Amino acid sequence: MNKIFDRFAGVGFLLVGILFLVESQKISNSAYGSSVGPKIFPMWLGIILIALSIRLLYETFKYKTEDSEKEQLQYKKFFIIFGSAVLYAFFLEKIGYVVSTFVFLLVTFQTVERGKMVYSVLVAAVFSFGVYYLFAEILGGSLPGFPLF
Amino acid sequence: MDTLQFLADGFGIAFQWQNILFAFVGVVIGTAVGVLPGIGPMSGVALLIPVTATITSGMPASAAASSSIILLAGVYYGAMYGGSTTSILLNTPGESSSVVTTLDGYQMAKQGRAGAALSISAIGSFCAGIISLIGLVLLAEPLSNVAIKFGPAEYFSLMLLGLAAVSGLAGKSMTKALMMTVFGLMLGTIGIDAVSGIARFTYDQPILFSGLEFLTIAVGLFALGEVIKTILERDQDAGAIAKIHRILPTKQDMKDSAVPIVRGSLLGFFIGVLPGAGATLASFFSYTTEKKFSKNPETFGKGNIAGVAGPESANNAASGGAMIPLLTLGIPGSGTTAILMGALIMYNIQPGPLLFDEHPEVAWGLIASMFLGNLMLLVLNMPLVRVFAKIIQTPKKYLLPMIIAISFFGVYAVQYTTFDLYLLIGCGILGYLFSKNDFPVAPLVLALILGPMIENNLRRALTISNGEFSIFFTKPLSLVFIIAAAAWLLVPLLLKLRGRTVIINEEG
Repeated sequence: MNKIFDRFAGVGFLLVGILFLVESQKISNSAYGSSVGPKIFPMWLGIILIALSIRLLYETFKYKTEDSEKEQLQYKKFFIIFGSAVLYAFFLEKIGYVVSTFVFLLVTFQTVERGKMVYSVLVAAVFSFGVYYLFAEILGGSLPGFPLF
Repeated sequence: MDTLQFLADGFGIAFQWQNILFAFVGVVIGTAVGVLPGIGPMSGVALLIPVTATITSGMPASAAASSSIILLAGVYYGAMYGGSTTSILLNTPGESSSVVTTLDGYQMAKQGRAGAALSISAIGSFCAGIISLIGLVLLAEPLSNVAIKFGPAEYFSLMLLGLAAVSGLAGKSMTKALMMTVFGLMLGTIGIDAVSGIARFTYDQPILFSGLEFLTIAVGLFALGEVIKTILERDQDAGAIAKIHRILPTKQDMKDSAVPIVRGSLLGFFIGVLPGAGATLASFFSYTTEKKFSKNPETFGKGNIAGVAGPESANNAASGGAMIPLLTLGIPGSGTTAILMGALIMYNIQPGPLLFDEHPEVAWGLIASMFLGNLMLLVLNMPLVRVFAKIIQTPKKYLLPMIIAISFFGVYAVQYTTFDLYLLIGCGILGYLFSKNDFPVAPLVLALILGPMIENNLRRALTISNGEFSIFFTKPLSLVFIIAAAAWLLVPLLLKLRGRTVIINEEG
C-alpha cells in the first residue's frame, strides 16, 4: 500500500465527487411529470463518492506504509514510449496509418531493446502494411492509409 | 423438448463453416492469451472486439453478433486452458486463475511428470467445460422465464447485487473497490441522458454526446495498463522451461484425478454462477476442498495430481457458469463477462431474459459453439502443448509495442476519432496506477457498462412508485436481492474484523 498515492487519490476522487455534486445541480429538471429527473442519479453518486473518499483519507492515517523494496522503475523507456504513443495518436490522421504505425513500432521496438535493426524494420513493415492491407483492402474498412499530400 | 430443439438449432449455427472457423480462431488465440503472462482474458477479449467487429462487418447484424461472440467467448474459455501451461512448466501462472496450479503442477514438472500434469489439466478442463455447459443448457430456459417477470425494481436491485458482489470481492480494500464502482457509474452518466434527452457533463463537446466508449476504456485500463506495467517494471528472466517427456497420463493418474475433476467442475460451476466470484476464487476453493478430502493431505504441494486436476477443472467450469447470469439475466458477474456483454451491446443485442426469445440464434449458437470449442481445445492442448509452450519465448521487444499498436488500431477502427486514442493512453496510465495501488479496475468497467441500465431501471421504478423508495423493499424479490447485496459487502467486512483472512478475487 502506498500512502502517498492513496492520499492523492483520496483527494482527487473527493474533488471528482464534489464536481459531480455541484455540476449535477446545473442539469435541468425533467421536462414532464416524472419525479426523478436526470440529475438525481449523478447527484447521489457524487455524494457517495465524497463519503468514500473521506473514508479512504481516514484510512490512510490508520495503516502503516508497508516497507516495500525500492523498485527500479524504467522511467526513461516509459516516457519515450509514452511520448511516441501520444505522437502516434496525433499524427495518425495526418500522415496516415501505414507510415505512423511503422515509425511508432520501429521507435518502440528499439526502445524496449536495442539492436537487431533489420528484424525490427521487417516486423514493423509487415505489421503496418499487413494490417492496412487486410483491413482496408480485403475487409473494406476505412483507415487513413497514406499521407494525403 | 423445446430446449433440445433450440440446442439442435444452435448446433446448426455453430456448424456453419465460418462459425467453426471463428470458434477455432477464438480458442487458439485464447490459449495463446492464457499462456502469455501479462495478457489476461480481459485484455485479450477487449483487444479482439474491434478486430471481430471489422471482420464481421459485412454480415447481417444478428449473424455478425453470433459469430463475434462465438470467437470472443472462445478466447475467454481458451485462456482457462492455456493458463495452466506456464504454471506447470515455468512456475509462473499465465492467469490469476491458475495461481494454485503452480503449487502442485510445477512440482510434478520437476519430477518429470510435466506431460501428465498438462494433459490432466486439459482433460479436467474439458470435462468441466462440458459439465458447465450441460448446466447452462438446463438452467438457461427456466432462469430466463423467471427473469422475464422482473420489473424495473427487481432489475435495479439485481444489478446492485452484481456490483456489490464484484466490489465486495475485488482487491484488498473494499473502500477502494467501491470507489472504483462509483467512479465507473459516474463515467457512465456522461453523455445524453437516454430518458430525458438532456446532455449531462458534456460541456458542449460533441464528442462526449454519445458518452465515453466502454471499449476504449476497457482496452486502456486492462491491455495498455498491463503493457505499461511490463515496460516500467523490469521483471526477472523466465526460468528454464521444464521438459515434457510423455504426454498421456498413466492409468493411476487418471484414477487419482477422476473424482477431483468432477468435484472441481461442480464446485466451479456454482461459484461461476454467483456474481462476483469468478474463476480465480473457484480454483482456490477447489484446491482447499481437495486437500480436505484427500487421504494424505501432506502430499499437496509436493506434486499431487489432484491439486492440478481439481483447480484446473474448477476455473474452466466457472467460466462456463459465469455465462449463465450474463445470458439469462443480462448481469455480468465478472470483468471478462462484462466485456463480453459490452460486445453484445455493440451489436445492439441486449443480453437478458429476452435474448432467448428475440435472438435464439445468438444464445444457442454460442452455447453449441462452446461444446465445439471445448472439443477443439482438448485436441489442441494434448498434442500441441509443446508448440504453445514455445509462445512463452516470444520476445517482449516485439510483443509490447505490438499490443499498443493493436489497441490503437482497434479503438480507431471502431471509433474513428483521435480523441479516443488520447483517452486510450490516459486510461492506460490510470489503469497502471490504479492496479499498482490496489484500486481494482474490474468493478469500474462493470459499473460503466451497467451504469446506464441501473439508472434507467431506478428511474422507471421510481416513476412507477411516484418517487417512493420503498418500492425496492416491498417487492419480495427485490428485497431479497438487496439483502443479498448488503450481505455480500458486510460479510467480508465482518470476517476481516474477526481477523479472518478473506480470499479475494483478482481477475487479470
